[in-house]
Amino acid sequence: MPESLLAILKLCALALLYLFFLRVLQAVWAEVRAPSMAAAPGVVEAPVRAPARREARSSTKLAVVEPPELKGRTYGLAEELTVGRAAGCQVTLEDSYASQLHARIFARDGTFYVEDLGSTNGTFLNSEKVTAPVAMKRGDRLRIGSTVMELTG
Amino acid sequence: MITARRRNTELGLIVLGAVITAAIYTLASLGTTADLPADIGPFLGVVLALLLGAHVATRRLAPAGDGVLLPLAGLLNGLGYVWIARLDENLAALQATWTAVGVTAFVATLVVVRRSRDLERYRYTFMLIGVGLLLMPLLPVLGKTVNGARIWVGLGPVSFQPGEFAKIILAIFFASYLVEKREVLGMGANRLGPLTLPELRHFGPVLVAWAASLVVMTAQRDLGSSLLFFALFVVMLWVATERASYLAVSALLFAAGAFAAWSLFSHVQERISVWLDPWVDASGQGYQVAQAAFALAWGGVAGTGPGLGSPDRIPLVETDFIFAAIGEELGLFGAAAVLVTYMLMIGTGLRIAVRAQVPFNKLLAAGLTAILGIQSFIIIGGVIRLVPLTGITLPFVSYGGSSLIANYVLLALLIRISDDSAQAEADAGGAARSLAGTGRR
Repeated sequence: MPESLLAILKLCALALLYLFFLRVLQAVWAEVRAPSMAAAPGVVEAPVRAPARREARSSTKLAVVEPPELKGRTYGLAEELTVGRAAGCQVTLEDSYASQLHARIFARDGTFYVEDLGSTNGTFLNSEKVTAPVAMKRGDRLRIGSTVMELTG
Repeated sequence: MITARRRNTELGLIVLGAVITAAIYTLASLGTTADLPADIGPFLGVVLALLLGAHVATRRLAPAGDGVLLPLAGLLNGLGYVWIARLDENLAALQATWTAVGVTAFVATLVVVRRSRDLERYRYTFMLIGVGLLLMPLLPVLGKTVNGARIWVGLGPVSFQPGEFAKIILAIFFASYLVEKREVLGMGANRLGPLTLPELRHFGPVLVAWAASLVVMTAQRDLGSSLLFFALFVVMLWVATERASYLAVSALLFAAGAFAAWSLFSHVQERISVWLDPWVDASGQGYQVAQAAFALAWGGVAGTGPGLGSPDRIPLVETDFIFAAIGEELGLFGAAAVLVTYMLMIGTGLRIAVRAQVPFNKLLAAGLTAILGIQSFIIIGGVIRLVPLTGITLPFVSYGGSSLIANYVLLALLIRISDDSAQAEADAGGAARSLAGTGRR
């Protein structure tokens, strides 16, 4: 068999090898992007059916998702509360990446809003930085410092 | 949902990987004998059957486990086999057997370890087994010295390297030990510049690990394993405590140990002088490393082509120096492909560690990934003269039963951990949804 043909076949094999890596990277990329997507179906399946205001307020909670040690801890939401490292906050986080007075969560017309109170590391709703008061819906993920909480109930 | 996607990804990648392996196998045969291999059909069949067997087992036993690790390992295993077959037919038959045993061990691990957390309970049993395996080759009757290193154990007709299994067992022990002690070990007492130093007595475990790895090095003359064990412990300690001072102190200890070894032992001096300049004695002590350098240089960018080089000039090419053989015949592209495969595996392992919710799982995944990374770095670095050569196998690629089987067990544990995490995530999501349902009524 001529050597040039072998060389071409060899390059084809190498190309296949890198195609394999491309497929692996695609699979990895799909997974890395998945978490933000995974939260969405829950919201679609459980549409907010405009429950009575009072009920919404009493049953809506923030459930800690990260860090794992605190997973499962929940904070009931009220008309207005503050989140931060300071002991005076209604939701006190033992999180060195959170500011003393980090964010404010308040209710208007049965909807909860989150507002950043000039924190050092920022407040993120579904990985988007909160710059102005923004409405939250069930299934949204709120990140303050290294703590991630999900709005449930 | 994620389960189905992961498994289908795995299936697709396995088929593609098997086709690539068969293609390169064919090319190697065309190169060496100018003829198509007689057994290409059965070859492709066996490769597919083994990997698909592992795939079906994963579907059954760890359905939500990671989907790219198995195909990547299968590709490395396949590439390794092609070169072993091209270099030594007898070894190839054995390697095929070892692969079958390895895949069986992979399935068996998934069967036995249903939840990775269960491993945490038997920590001191694992410690005893791990240390026992590590020191086993030193026993008078069982231990055997091969090529100057006393790392083999012969039990009747079966010989194996217990150290290959010890690394996994010890990673399990380190993970459960550090999960319990990390808070104590992580407490800072003194500050030194940017470093927070834990109390002096907390460096005790580091000293123990250091002493143990020195014993491995001096008594078994196995530099690679010695370095691997020490680095594994230090990395896991660092991950557990997030204290960089442990890394710094360990580096100092390592430097002291390395210097002492260099001044005391002739075989260490030999390795260092060959590393610094193999050309001084290129036909004697430096022969192996020099031939590997020739092989890699001869390979160039695209390689001579499978079967068209002469990697058989390198002593021990099937085990320690298989990377040079691949580099010669597939060139820089092929060598880089091997590196990319390891990087993808290590990246996946670290992703599994990040995703794990249970601290023990996190540490174990990080430790197992560290084994894979450190080991491939040590040997590839040795072959390309980045670091002094320390004989150790290239995971999944090198010829060797113990190494192959142990690495498949390692793979199964990583997949088990990722399955656990994905299941827990799904459960948490389901629970939150059903809670939301009752709340709304």
